[in-house]
Parts: sequence; C-alpha cells; structure tokens
Amino acid sequence: MKENVIEISHLTKSYGKNRGVIDVSLNVKEGDIFGFLGPNGAGKSTTIRSMLGFLKINSGNIRILGMDSVKDHEKILKNVGYMPSEAWFYDSLKVADVIKYAADVRGLNCSEEAGKLCERLKVDTHKKIKQLSLGNRKKVSIVCAMQHRPRLFIFDEPTGGLDPLMQKKFFELINEYVAQGATCLLSTHVLSEVDKYCKNAAIMREGRLTMLDTPHIDDETFLSFYEEEEG
Amino acid sequence: MRAVLKRELLLNLKNLLIWSLSVGALGLVCILLYKSMEGEMKDMADAFSNMGAFSEAFGMSTLSIATLKGYFATEIGAVHGLGSCMFAAIIAINIISKEEDAHTGEFLFSLPLSRNRILTAKSLCVAIMLVLFTAVCTLFYLLGFSILGEEMPLDLFFTFMARQLLMNLEVAGICLALSSLTGKNRMGLGLGMALLFYAYDVMGRVIPDLKKYLFIGPFSYANASEIFTEAKLPVTGIVVACGVLICGVLFAFWFYNKRDLAS
Repeated sequence: MKENVIEISHLTKSYGKNRGVIDVSLNVKEGDIFGFLGPNGAGKSTTIRSMLGFLKINSGNIRILGMDSVKDHEKILKNVGYMPSEAWFYDSLKVADVIKYAADVRGLNCSEEAGKLCERLKVDTHKKIKQLSLGNRKKVSIVCAMQHRPRLFIFDEPTGGLDPLMQKKFFELINEYVAQGATCLLSTHVLSEVDKYCKNAAIMREGRLTMLDTPHIDDETFLSFYEEEEG
Repeated sequence: MRAVLKRELLLNLKNLLIWSLSVGALGLVCILLYKSMEGEMKDMADAFSNMGAFSEAFGMSTLSIATLKGYFATEIGAVHGLGSCMFAAIIAINIISKEEDAHTGEFLFSLPLSRNRILTAKSLCVAIMLVLFTAVCTLFYLLGFSILGEEMPLDLFFTFMARQLLMNLEVAGICLALSSLTGKNRMGLGLGMALLFYAYDVMGRVIPDLKKYLFIGPFSYANASEIFTEAKLPVTGIVVACGVLICGVLFAFWFYNKRDLAS
C-alpha cells in the first residue's frame, strides 16, 4: 500500500477575524497527481502556504513526507518543489543566476537537470528577469521547482500565462517525474487539467474542503461549486 | 546560508558603492578644501567659537576649526555621521521586508532554509556592508590627510571611525527590528529616523535640559568634537547602544519567526 505523502488533519488557519481555512483534512498518496480546485479566496493558497510553513497555523497537524511541517520545515523543503501562482524573482539577476541560486541554496549541483529543463521549456538563461513576460517567469519557476528532482511537487495555478504548447510540455514533465516516483499537488481553476491529468481531486469552498469521488466531473457540477458560493 | 549571504551582498553592492563613494569623496573634498581655506580659518574660528549654543552644538567652542583636527571634527564629522547613519538605516530597514514587498518571498521561503538562517544571512550582510562602508570612507579620509601632509592624531581618528561604526550598527539594529514587522517598504521611515537621531543630538547639545538625556540617542557617543578633545568615555551611551543593538536584532528574530509571511 502506498504511503501518504501529504497528511493534513483538522487544519484551521485564520487571519485575525478573517476566515482562512476551517478544519481541513486531506491525504495525498505517493505517486498521485492530486487536483486541488476551488474559487478565488476559497483557501487553496492558505492550505498550501500552511504546508510550506509560510503561515503559522491556528490548529491542526500537517505531515509532509512523514515529517512534521513545523519541526522538520527545512528537511521537508529539501524534498519539495514549489511553484507559486505569481513567479517573482530578483529583477536585476539573469535567469541563469536565479536557477543556480536555487540550486546553491540547496547545496546541489543541478546544472544537468536544469539544462535539460531549460531546453525543453525553451528558457533563455541569458536574459535578465526584468526582461521576462509572466509566462517566461513561470517557466523559470518551473525549472527552479523541478531541477532538484523533488519527491513532492506543489504547484499553485501553474499554467496561467503559459502558452498551450508550454502547458502541454509542463504536464509531460509532471507525468515523467511522477512515473519516477514523485507526487504532485496541483492547485488550479482549470477543470480540464484536473480531468485530464489528475488521479484524485478535492474542492475548497469558503475555507472548507470536500473530497471529490472522481476528478472527472462535468462543467455544470464544477460550476455549481462556484455558484453556490456566490449564492 | 552562505548562498543567501553572497546573494544579499551582491544585491546591496550598488547601494554600498553609491553611498560609500559619495560620503567618502565628499569627505575627501572637504579635507582638501582645508588647505585653500587655511588662511581665512583663523578669523572664522574666532567667530565660530563665540556663537554660544551653536558653537557648543557643533563642538566649535572646544575645538578650533583652524586646525585640521578641529576642521575634520566639525565639518567632516557631521557629514560622515549623517551620511553613514542614513546608509545604515536604508540598508537595514528594507533587508527583510523587501522580500515580501517585491513578492520574491515565496521563492526564497520555498528554499530549504529556516527563517533563522535567512535572518542570520541578512543581518550579517548589513554588518558587512557597514564595515565596508566605514573602511572605504576611512581610506578616503586617510588619503586626504596624506595629500595635505598635515599632522592628524590617528588614534583619535580611528576611535571616531570605530564609534561611528557602532552608531551605524545601533541604527541598523533598530531598523532591522522595524523591517521584521511587515512586508512593506519603509525607506521613508528609515531616512526619517536617521535625521531624527541627528536632530535629537544637535538639540540635546543646544538645550541644556536635554543634555543629560543625550545618551539615549545613537549620536551621543560618536560625537567627533568630544572624541577629538579626548572627552571622558561616554560609557552609558555605549552600553545603551550595545543594549539597543542586541534588543533590535533579537526582536527581529523573535517577531519574524512568529508571524505569517505575505506572498
């Protein structure tokens, strides 16, 4: 039986009086591509940012790769590749410098893997970050998240800004890494991505999580989650 | 952590060059002007030393600006004090908050580093920047003395530069604590504080009732005219400075570790 790579139990996080997430429990098994759906402000990013230790949680427990998210924060991040929804880097640096910096902090020489990724994603490593469009910054972010071949990928709305060809290549890469034993949590608004690539899925609404029986849901069911919130 | 420190140093290098070369070159030019003004200095020195509280505030009642020592203390001392204080404030007040302000935080925080390591690297960067700033300015001033060929008590000069460095570290400690509070750019606050500290010191030397509270401000123990007249070591001011520096850094670590990081 496959182990849980992500184990979240009864996670609650609020921002003062504002709701973040309420009593979220979630398990993601090794080798899964897990779709994490939900409207804007539903709590997807709060859940992810709590997992990565950016936020101090109010209650609950998070274990990533069998380690405690608070105590083993550094060890967890060594084995995680995270791509935030907005890919921002130091403007004055060149793309190559950013990619090398991410590898240097990890104490790894990832030049071979980074080279392959840059070639496949057509990343111009000589350009400065400030010269890049959102889509190209996202590609740099993908390289930074993948070059160290982590055991767990966490992607927060990864395909926004990427052209269709790059989106296809991105999912090809995910499938290749997952085939080699990695796990992927994919936060997205795009139902077709979940339908096509995910093995399991959950949806967040107003800070609460609902597991879906199948990631292959139709548009109407999907939109009903959004409409109910508006109602 | 070494990679973060290296990156921070490189990111702040431009700032260091601009500020150290500007302040150092300005000091050098002022030193070189001494020779051309030497003839007129005597009359000016007499006039300046009899301006009551103003002379007191700028140390011209105890030091003659007709000598290089007095000229350096009253003119370059003020330029270096204010310039270095502003540099310390600018560097430290953004060093933590810039990550969240420029949205680079998610990239940095997703790397396998604890907040303590990130903050240690950033604090070390500030300290190194201030030491380098002081070293560059020191070289400029020494070059000036050497070109003039005038006698300068180097022990007092180095004491002055060392105390200025401590003052810079104290200001940086306060600003580091402020930088840990939120992820917003607070450059204006940093510069305002630098000017406020300077103004407090000047006012403290003019207003008799404020004099006994001078030790609270970071400029109190780094005053050039006091150092060059070999006044008593301002132990209280130095102890307060060390205390403020340590408290500022500890607060930054404590608060940064307990708060949520903005995206």
